[in-house]
Amino acid sequence: MRSARAIDGRRVLRFSCGLEIRVGNLAAAAALLTGAILLALVSLGSGITETGFREFLRFLAGEPASADQAYALWTVRLPRIVMGFMAGWAVALAGAMLQSITRNPLADPGLLGLSQGSMTTIMLLLVFVPAAPKVAVALAALAGGLAVALLLLWLVGGERASGLAILLMGIAVETVLSSVGSLLLLYTPPETSLALADWMAGSLFQANWNAIATFAPLFCASLLGLFLLGRATSAYDLGNEFAMALGEPVRRSRPLLLIFAVLLSASAVTAVGPLTFLGVLAPQLAGFLSPATGRARLFLAALTGGILVVAADTLARSVVRDLPLPIGLGLTLIGVPLFFFALRLQALRRLQLH
Amino acid sequence: MRFPTLLAAILAASSALAADRTVTDDTGRSVAIPEQPARVVVMHEPLLGLPLMELGVDVVGSYGRKDDGSFITPVDFVDTVFGPGRVKPRGIGPVGQIDLEKLRALAPDLIVGMELDVEKVEQLSTVAPVYLQNVSTGKAHGFSVEEELANVVGRKEAFAARRSAYAARLAAVRKALPDDGKKKTYLAVFLTDQLNALGDMSGAVQALEDLGYTRLSLAAENAPAGQGGSMLLVPLGAEAFGRLNPDLLVLMNTYMGDARDAQGTKAALERIVPGWERFLAPAKEGRVLYLDSAKVAMPTIASAEHTLDAVEAWIKR
Repeated sequence: MRSARAIDGRRVLRFSCGLEIRVGNLAAAAALLTGAILLALVSLGSGITETGFREFLRFLAGEPASADQAYALWTVRLPRIVMGFMAGWAVALAGAMLQSITRNPLADPGLLGLSQGSMTTIMLLLVFVPAAPKVAVALAALAGGLAVALLLLWLVGGERASGLAILLMGIAVETVLSSVGSLLLLYTPPETSLALADWMAGSLFQANWNAIATFAPLFCASLLGLFLLGRATSAYDLGNEFAMALGEPVRRSRPLLLIFAVLLSASAVTAVGPLTFLGVLAPQLAGFLSPATGRARLFLAALTGGILVVAADTLARSVVRDLPLPIGLGLTLIGVPLFFFALRLQALRRLQLH
Repeated sequence: MRFPTLLAAILAASSALAADRTVTDDTGRSVAIPEQPARVVVMHEPLLGLPLMELGVDVVGSYGRKDDGSFITPVDFVDTVFGPGRVKPRGIGPVGQIDLEKLRALAPDLIVGMELDVEKVEQLSTVAPVYLQNVSTGKAHGFSVEEELANVVGRKEAFAARRSAYAARLAAVRKALPDDGKKKTYLAVFLTDQLNALGDMSGAVQALEDLGYTRLSLAAENAPAGQGGSMLLVPLGAEAFGRLNPDLLVLMNTYMGDARDAQGTKAALERIVPGWERFLAPAKEGRVLYLDSAKVAMPTIASAEHTLDAVEAWIKR
């Protein structure tokens, strides 16, 4: 490994295997990881039971803790932190991948209809089989998301179809599916529609070690996918023709990226409900923190997504205890001001450059 | 990490170990519950909490209450059904966000939920055993929920005593009711921003049917009849409503507002079906009974008794 400068003058670390990492990206990743750990510590101390990181460490060291403290730490708070991070990671990663293949910073699983596909099939399942097992819900989410992805691929045609075509077709499919969702909410019995509305608001209530064990393989697969498919996204950032010119097998890798994004998005929807706007928010904030491409961009975006969901859950559990604050609303309250701030600073920077 | 310590603490965190007997709930789950639960948390206060309170069970927590003891709706059903002065259950977190720590702090030995709470069972069971009770139309009728819950919580005697008092009251009201030997029909309509036929499960329905009235069939009007598991209300079209002619039309305005008396109910119906008093046969012939939804729409014996009171007043009018 040696330190060098890239063509644009920025410092990079070059490894003997050919891997090159920008020092700025590395610093941003370190800052985000530190932020994630600090946030997890704050989240561990949030709740009505008097316990937190100190008791957690004592507990790990074998010192006895009260049953209430053990319950709060191991059954409630830690699973929420882990599950929230993994779900946020998955949605943000899916968003970042979709933005590359559509070449549009607004693309996310929600905008392309992938989340709506999952949600619609879950809603249909819950309407007809209210007591459907969780496995059936997960399969329904995956089937819905995949159906939308395949429909999009079929509608936009072959490898030469532009990213804009996918985006526009995705918006059309999303609009149709949203209407179906609204119809279901309006015309199902009040109790069913309330349950559906509850679920659509998003929640980490279901976070437990069983759910984490189910989600963990996907999280590991996402790391592998990030490593294997990350490079392709930097080629797609330049456009389809450029990607093909650079030797990217577009016919194979684009559907693969799309299906991988569906898998991530559907799993997150099943676990915590729809995390609206996170797929756009996290990559934008990560890009503001440290501009990056390829694997580094995906990694930073996913990390930001995980942090945002943990932050939203911590806010819901600590600051506003008696008011309902669904995870989607918490994400908006935290993420949107940051989004405005980042966009405004970027605009000011551009003004200074000109 | 010393795993025995960790394991012991996590096991101690579950109070589900204090169970005494195994029952099968309405979703077919086997649940180990105490013989006579002392501290119960309910997932729906009007449909599950009130019947349990009437049986003398200490309902310590309820989904829908806030930390300050206020209820999610403007009306507190504990006050309207049983009268003021009762101790109210505590909250377990805002609606949509059950706080498991808050729930555990109430130290319940049983959690009673509806069949629709099935997806919450895994998490709730980390605090106490969870029993799921059917409350949907077609699965529950009148105050059958209270009777079934009495068996679950070991309060059969309390239910029998309440039922006996109700039977005496029912006999008195039935005696005062004019009887021409013909079968009589009723239609109970709950007014929101639309017309809704009241579902099967409420003290009002129990009392009316115990008085000898039978539910008016809506099949001829193509009105839905409670499909999809609706607990309380079945939408009813204004046109279909105009054609209906039950022997007794029972009207009640929503409990989301204060206008639940006869005047408020008349005004609410006027907004949906203008001029109804001039063309609707039961209205023209004085066969309309006005009920306070906040008192009679719950599946409790007290709600049935409130209905009997209203019927008695209507007979004497």
